[in-house]
Amino acid sequence: MGVRVFLVFVAAALLAVTSASARQVATPGVTSDEIHLGSSVPLSGEAAIAGNVARGIEAYFNYVNDKGGVFGRKIKFTYLDDGYDPGRAVNNTIRLIQQEQVFAVFSSLGTSNNLAVRKLLNDAKVPQLFVSSGATTFGRDYKKYPWTIGYIPPYSEEGEIYGRYVVKNIKKAKIAVLYQNDDYGRDLFAGLRRGLGAKAKSIVAKVGYDPTSADVQPQVTQLKASKANVLMVFAFGKFSLQAFNAVSRLGWKPQIFVNDVSSASALMSIVPQKAANGAISIVFGKDPASPSWANDKGIRLFQSILRKYGNGTNARDLKDGYFSAGMATAYTMVNTLKKAGRNPTRQSVMNAATHLNEKGNPFVLPGIVIRTTPKSRFPITQVRLQRWSANAWRPFGKLVSAKPG
Amino acid sequence: MKLKLALEVACFLALAAFVAVLPRFISDFRAREFAIAGMYFIALLGLSILTGYSGQISLGNGAFMAVGGYTTAILSVDGFYGHPLRDLWTIPIAGVVAGVAGLVVGVPALRLSGLYLALITFGIAVSFPQLPKKFDHFFGGTTGKILSLPRPPFGLDTTPNDWIFYLTWGIALVLLALAWLLVRGRTGRGLKAIRDSEVAAVSSGISLARYKTLAFGISAFYAGIAGSLYAIANAYVNPDVFPIMLSIYLVVGLAVGGLDSLFGLLGGAALIYFLQNHADTVARWINHLPALELDPKQPGIPSVVFGVVLIVVMLLIPTGMGGLARKFFVSLTTRR
Amino acid sequence: MLATFTWTEFAQQLAAGIREGAIYAGLALAIVLIYRSTRVINFAQGEMATFTTFIAWSLQNRGLSFWVAFPIVLAIAFAGGVAIERTLIRPVENAPVLTIVIVTLGLALLLNGLMSVIWGGANRQFHGPFSTRTIDVGGVPISVQDIGIVAVSIVLVVLLWLFFRYTKLGLALRASAVNPDSSRLVGVRVGWMLALGWGIAAVLGAVAGMMIAPVVFLDPNMMQTILLYAFAAAVLGGLESPAGAVVGGLLLGVTITMLGRYVGFIGSTLKLPAALLLILVLLLLRPGGLFGRVAVRRV
Repeated sequence: MGVRVFLVFVAAALLAVTSASARQVATPGVTSDEIHLGSSVPLSGEAAIAGNVARGIEAYFNYVNDKGGVFGRKIKFTYLDDGYDPGRAVNNTIRLIQQEQVFAVFSSLGTSNNLAVRKLLNDAKVPQLFVSSGATTFGRDYKKYPWTIGYIPPYSEEGEIYGRYVVKNIKKAKIAVLYQNDDYGRDLFAGLRRGLGAKAKSIVAKVGYDPTSADVQPQVTQLKASKANVLMVFAFGKFSLQAFNAVSRLGWKPQIFVNDVSSASALMSIVPQKAANGAISIVFGKDPASPSWANDKGIRLFQSILRKYGNGTNARDLKDGYFSAGMATAYTMVNTLKKAGRNPTRQSVMNAATHLNEKGNPFVLPGIVIRTTPKSRFPITQVRLQRWSANAWRPFGKLVSAKPG
Repeated sequence: MKLKLALEVACFLALAAFVAVLPRFISDFRAREFAIAGMYFIALLGLSILTGYSGQISLGNGAFMAVGGYTTAILSVDGFYGHPLRDLWTIPIAGVVAGVAGLVVGVPALRLSGLYLALITFGIAVSFPQLPKKFDHFFGGTTGKILSLPRPPFGLDTTPNDWIFYLTWGIALVLLALAWLLVRGRTGRGLKAIRDSEVAAVSSGISLARYKTLAFGISAFYAGIAGSLYAIANAYVNPDVFPIMLSIYLVVGLAVGGLDSLFGLLGGAALIYFLQNHADTVARWINHLPALELDPKQPGIPSVVFGVVLIVVMLLIPTGMGGLARKFFVSLTTRR
Repeated sequence: MLATFTWTEFAQQLAAGIREGAIYAGLALAIVLIYRSTRVINFAQGEMATFTTFIAWSLQNRGLSFWVAFPIVLAIAFAGGVAIERTLIRPVENAPVLTIVIVTLGLALLLNGLMSVIWGGANRQFHGPFSTRTIDVGGVPISVQDIGIVAVSIVLVVLLWLFFRYTKLGLALRASAVNPDSSRLVGVRVGWMLALGWGIAAVLGAVAGMMIAPVVFLDPNMMQTILLYAFAAAVLGGLESPAGAVVGGLLLGVTITMLGRYVGFIGSTLKLPAALLLILVLLLLRPGGLFGRVAVRRV
């Protein structure tokens, strides 16, 4: 009798042990000493430079691994080149899940590239973490896509902040808008209108440009003819540079607002300063090229990590905002993994990512708290306004909310 | 000549057998990779009929792939008058729609020759992505159209990747056989006659207009099928899925495969896929050479690798793999 | 919400269009030169121009002024163009046209990647030779830079014309392009003439690059869109004719700017397809382009 009871106990215990270990095996990408994350980014083609985000992430993970990793596990990070082509992003993502057996997909870059893989990741119940895109849908549509979460403030909220600022501070504003003619530019424009509210009539001209344009001077010339005194530049990369150039060449002097994505110090410092001075933008990450952060602890940490752990990086990269943006995301990712516990599962990491309360990320502005709930999947929702003067961005005012209402 | 025929039939059967058993020996994801290479192969078959056989250079066949891809996406997402079609049935429709587009382009192409035609078709490749952006209510704009994920029909017990593999290569084999019959038959002789001398062709009663337009239509049909399969495999289309570079890659595949060698195109298709998606692997191979240390993850390195491989391949085999094989074949069958 | 029509703006748009066109013309001229001498469309023309502009940028960074760096860069561009012809194009001279086109394509990819590796992908400021001030031309503020760019293009065309018309070398170059075999018989070293064509084309590209970089900012992809327009300009002018390339470039620059600005339906999204459609229609009427000649071959 006693022996029988004992045997039943042993059997039950064995069963529990085997099923427990079976459950651990069932989480792909996690072994006793490794967690495998994957990403699809452009390393070739027109957007190749943005691929540096992934290299910044890689350097930070190397640094964390050197200090012992997360609960003794090293983070392995595999990132593949998609040339900014959504078709190749799909292929990369399938390769990451099926061939590389990653635990989660993390910080893939670009709006369409993430849209293209959202359904397949959610069907496979693989977390799509901290998407590198400000399209509102990645934080908003969690009911349909519970395995997806964004990271940076939504573009539409950014537009809204500019609108509210104009209403409050600029009397008799006549606003001209230059925007990239796609979802990204239109998101910003829609936000601007919302922020202006009843004052939306003060938009006197808006012109979209196509990314296949050679130069946006014709568009700026057209906007200038509207006699506006405020110019919104909702552009991307070189097109915002050209906009400043054209403003200066045409002898126009509007109050310029320039969206976050195209406002890096490295860009602002090479446009004609008579147009750039006084321009307003938002900020949430620390820009390593900005003199304001030259002695900041976080930026010093960024540079020392990149020097020691960055693969094939050089002095030029120490001032590259893509690398620091990558590190900010990687910092949050490490915290998420810690929060997911000693034996992370895809469910527990998703749970952790939607219950964040991260203070003191060294790579974002002081005071920003990265906070998420299952129903509010916008990790960064606090920004500050900043004004360009004497060759640097100067933040002003308090932290403003960029949280979708 | 009999020997050549026997050899070609043997090659075809060997390819069919290889395709049938391949998924048993490779991983699930590799099956998907072979499937996508197969889509390039289909598009290259069409391009070969146009450029290799009728001598008209097209730098715009990526646009016809886009036509096929969008046809499938719109029919299977929005449907025909509100009745979405199963992706499988949209494939032939996509081919026909693209084929008609090809015929339409083929008519003005009659008046153009050589590099003028090449550049005008390149203009089509450049222009096409603008249409979905402009008419975004119909085409979905830059957001694109999200299709349902590929799944095997009729309750077949295969993985989605194997399904896409068999679907693509099944179609590819049929289209290869058709292309082969076409170029061996009357039409093929007509096309070749035009390529070699338009004057001679016309004086022997061949209708330039009919054959040249037909070649455009057929090549666009093939591209449309390929684009449709590509849309199904990725379950997504937007203007960036069919970039300008796609048209260029197709021409690269054609040149590497050999202009009028249907089997050589297998190599061209493989190269297009491999260099786009495995430039890091190639960079690691190159690193075995002395005094070289390429970091495959550094932005720009994939382009360097791709560029170098293209140049080296073209310098080594200027007439492509098909040309190489032909030389080999000729040296086998000619007595010195 | 479109601003209403004003003559001042029209004049400024016209000026922008002409400047844009002058750049297309510069690159189109380079394409035409290579087409004439080697019967090849050089897909690397844009990246070659950007590459040499990056060299100029590096020299500026080392403290050289624009006009000191300028001749050095032109010399490097010339040597580079000749070297490319000798090492990469020569071996495939007799291969199908497509093979040569693919080699230039490979070169374009290679150069683009190299620029990212050497100089990084970031946008760079390039100091041009002209002031960025505006001057008043009949009541319309026009940028000195725009006027300078157009002036340089005109000077280039005149110099090229003088070279081809009045120098022995120019004559030999033309002869070897039109009839290589007869030229060889009269002692022209045709091989070197082809290389010379590539060298001159590279120089033209370098000038175009250094002119446009101050306006659109320098990065490895700077010339990619511009090259598309330059192709269109060259076709419009008739691939064979340098004068055609210049006229084609200016016409295209102005047409695109005006279509994009004043035809609401076309806007910035459809201006490229619309321009290409116009070119297609023109080619159907004149299959040899504006200035090209079509070999008469009635059948």
